Amino acid sequence: MSWRADLLAVWAVVVRNALMASRNVFFFFELLFWPIVGVVSIGLMTKFLGITPAQASFVLIGTIALSVVNVCQLEVAYAVLMDVWSKSIKHQFLAPIGIRHLTVGSWVVGMVRGSLLFTLLAVLAWWAFDFRVLAAGGGAVGLFLFGCFLNAWIVGVFVCALITLFGNRAEAFAWASVNLVLVLAGIYYPVSVLPEPAATLARAIPLTYFLDAYRSHFGFASEFAAPIATGLALSVVYAVVAHLAFYASVQRARRTGLLLKMSE
Amino acid sequence: MPSPASALAIDAREVAKTFRSGWLRPRETAALRGATLAVPRGAIVGLLGPNGAGKTTFLSILATLLIPDRGTVRVLGLDVVRDSMALRRRLNMASGRPSFLWSLRVAEIVAFYGRLYGLSGAALRARVDALIEQYELTPYRRVPYSELSTGLKQRVALAKSLVNDPELLFLDEPTLGLDPDVSMRVRAHIAALRRERGVTILLTTHYMREAEELCDEVAFIKAGRILDAGTPDELKRRIGLGDVIALRLEPAVPAWLAEAPGVLRCASADGWTKCTVDDAEKRLPDLLRQLFAEGVTVRNVRVREPELEEVFVELAR
Repeated sequence: MSWRADLLAVWAVVVRNALMASRNVFFFFELLFWPIVGVVSIGLMTKFLGITPAQASFVLIGTIALSVVNVCQLEVAYAVLMDVWSKSIKHQFLAPIGIRHLTVGSWVVGMVRGSLLFTLLAVLAWWAFDFRVLAAGGGAVGLFLFGCFLNAWIVGVFVCALITLFGNRAEAFAWASVNLVLVLAGIYYPVSVLPEPAATLARAIPLTYFLDAYRSHFGFASEFAAPIATGLALSVVYAVVAHLAFYASVQRARRTGLLLKMSE
Repeated sequence: MPSPASALAIDAREVAKTFRSGWLRPRETAALRGATLAVPRGAIVGLLGPNGAGKTTFLSILATLLIPDRGTVRVLGLDVVRDSMALRRRLNMASGRPSFLWSLRVAEIVAFYGRLYGLSGAALRARVDALIEQYELTPYRRVPYSELSTGLKQRVALAKSLVNDPELLFLDEPTLGLDPDVSMRVRAHIAALRRERGVTILLTTHYMREAEELCDEVAFIKAGRILDAGTPDELKRRIGLGDVIALRLEPAVPAWLAEAPGVLRCASADGWTKCTVDDAEKRLPDLLRQLFAEGVTVRNVRVREPELEEVFVELAR
């Protein structure tokens, strides 16, 4: 496949996901309602508990990361979910495209939505709680966001694999899986407070390192050496594994007939 | 004489597919049990059979959507499993129960699949416009898919299936549930595809008249096996249905009639004597001559060719 055909296939998915996103009322709730509710309620809780501004920033960074990862991850899962819901998935896999086109195309839309959401929540956190998310500098913010998007991509691709493996029954993973990852990655607390088996799992999650690196700009000592490099290296490994899993489950769906059962 | 392999769009041999389901109590359903089919390039071939015969499974294997358990399947000279990606560029599919993303509009659906097949810019716009015009979808190009009628959805499916200008097209019950006038238009479109673009078409249908009107050849599938294949006329001859000559005779039926050359069987009912003959055009003059010679008055004669439906009933039995 030529690079031009690759780009066109990715662009096709970008346009499709963007059009669908612009016409679905649930996307509004995903992008605005729940994230805003999350930041406002957590911010108010930090005020009520009277914690230090540094501790409040620690928690708010986690809240914002949760929303960004969640929105981007759902967009990646939509690469398969939207076709499963509309029973049109066979047409997608009848076309001469690879799974990478689906996952990259939907990831691009996820990153756009995630960036919009991050900007919105950053402004809200600054206005309502005087928390300056961008104080860490453009480079740090960029790396943190990229880390969040990488994690979202990995979780989203695993969700796609589960849906093509188990069908509609696996739909709940799209909403549940990211929360499990975020709990282990130390979203509201340092991973050192986790009990040992959970702390070991946390160290296997790339987001843990990106959160750790970003929080270090707000005065928290880093728990890991070279967190960005570790996070990126782990992300590459998981991204490859996730895509292999997705490819294998699509092939399995072609063997079992699930691809047809999920279609018209 | 069988066609050489290069002249075949589809060369499927001994294809088997079993579906397995259930975790605690595993069940197996053998959908195909060694189906063999050859489709010449540029032909329209109908795959006919009762419900659950394996038509859609067979079509899906040929279209690379399913991986067969056993057998060899070459489509357009390529192996459906090994060369599936290259093959997908050259084929497409539409079904009688189409479904696309609900909130996308007609033009957006065709354009989305056009991009997946490598079209862009002016070429994509021209292709989308041409297909929308060809399938009389211009007034609906900005209408969301969920708001279209069944007939319009089927036309969208046909437009989408031509977006890559396929050499081979699979149509799974393309006129299912359509009004007669819409069905006629869809059939005309299908015939035009072969006539104007030389597209090879394999279609499944439950409508025998449709198969007879459109198809150069038909293949009957039952319980996962192709029972017979050929032109409708060949099948009628092979099944031995013959033509029916109905006669109103006076006096009654002569005893020799059932034994006359070419007569397969004779039966009388409601004043008509119905003789099934191998070839009405060949046998009728001789029968009439003999009846006149014996002084039998022939008050009325009707000749009817057997219909594909009768072949279907015979084979499905």
